[in-house]
Amino acid sequence: MEDTLLRELLTDSRMLTLPKNQFLVTEGVVDQHIYYIESGAVRVFLQTEFEELTIRFGYKDSFITSLSSFINGTSSEFYIQAIRGTQVRAISKQQFETAINTDIRYLQLYNAILEGLVIQQLEREVDLLTASPSERLQRVLKRSPRLFQEIPSKYIASYLRMTPETLSRIRKIND
Amino acid sequence: MKLKTDEVLADLIKRSKKVQDIVSGYRLLNEELLNLKPNADSWSKLECLEHLNLYGDFYLPEIEGRILQAKRPSWHIFKSGVIGNYFANLMQPNGNGTIKKMKSPEDKNPAKSELSVTTVERFLKQMEHLLRLLEMAKRVDLTHTKTSISISKMIKLRLGDTLRFYVYHIERHVAQGERL
Repeated sequence: MEDTLLRELLTDSRMLTLPKNQFLVTEGVVDQHIYYIESGAVRVFLQTEFEELTIRFGYKDSFITSLSSFINGTSSEFYIQAIRGTQVRAISKQQFETAINTDIRYLQLYNAILEGLVIQQLEREVDLLTASPSERLQRVLKRSPRLFQEIPSKYIASYLRMTPETLSRIRKIND
Repeated sequence: MKLKTDEVLADLIKRSKKVQDIVSGYRLLNEELLNLKPNADSWSKLECLEHLNLYGDFYLPEIEGRILQAKRPSWHIFKSGVIGNYFANLMQPNGNGTIKKMKSPEDKNPAKSELSVTTVERFLKQMEHLLRLLEMAKRVDLTHTKTSISISKMIKLRLGDTLRFYVYHIERHVAQGERL
């Protein structure tokens, strides 16, 4: 049921085509969309004074958003950037509200999407609390087996909070 | 050379805030203008900023660490050292307003890095950090607190000289970007 509802919502939404490296969301901008990735891949990162910290990836058929901006309407702390040529559907918060008002079943869909995003946040939190670098990698590979096919390893290293050299060593040892 | 500590720091804070104002304005410029290079050898606005970011990566943690470990409390006089004063003055424009051309060390050359609007935000975050450090510096002795410099671990500069050098260096390259 949720699949049919989702398809209907997606048909009504705007399709955006992003060339490689294009920003979908930039720091300081209020962005109240949830993006559904039709093709390609994106990353969410935080720009600190010293480096970019990659905190999330979005693959084909998954949802991505700057969560705090979406929920609170505050300006985004994060950038969302296309890792390669990417197509996304942009569903606005407004669009969700309208849909929910016409059919209450959309509320279930909306909740399911938000629950999915919350679970992802928690998984990431446990990742970061896991001391062993190789265990961190294993956890991520378990939930995203396609990781290395989809994402350049420099971003994976940043996501796992290790240097690209450490990541490469761990992969060699575990092969 | 003897200087008044509070005047030195107030001057550096004033200069840093001016730089912050100028570069905040870059948020309104499009990426084309930020990447504009009159010729292959000169730097774009973003390259000027990234050059400063690369220095900040070294100097901000270095200065913060030294301030936190400083043993001597603040003193109303700062005595600039010979080498420190030389480095600081090297960054200043000549009497006729022109700047002396210099070659940057290879590891601080931004020409090969990937630059985008994030370069501006990264720079502005470093400026906020610098302003916090200039406030923290009010509580320690600028003459007897020593810091390392990026080109040699052997040479130590007085904290006050490092702060002057670092701020003048930022002004120099922001002015360079502004001429575009």
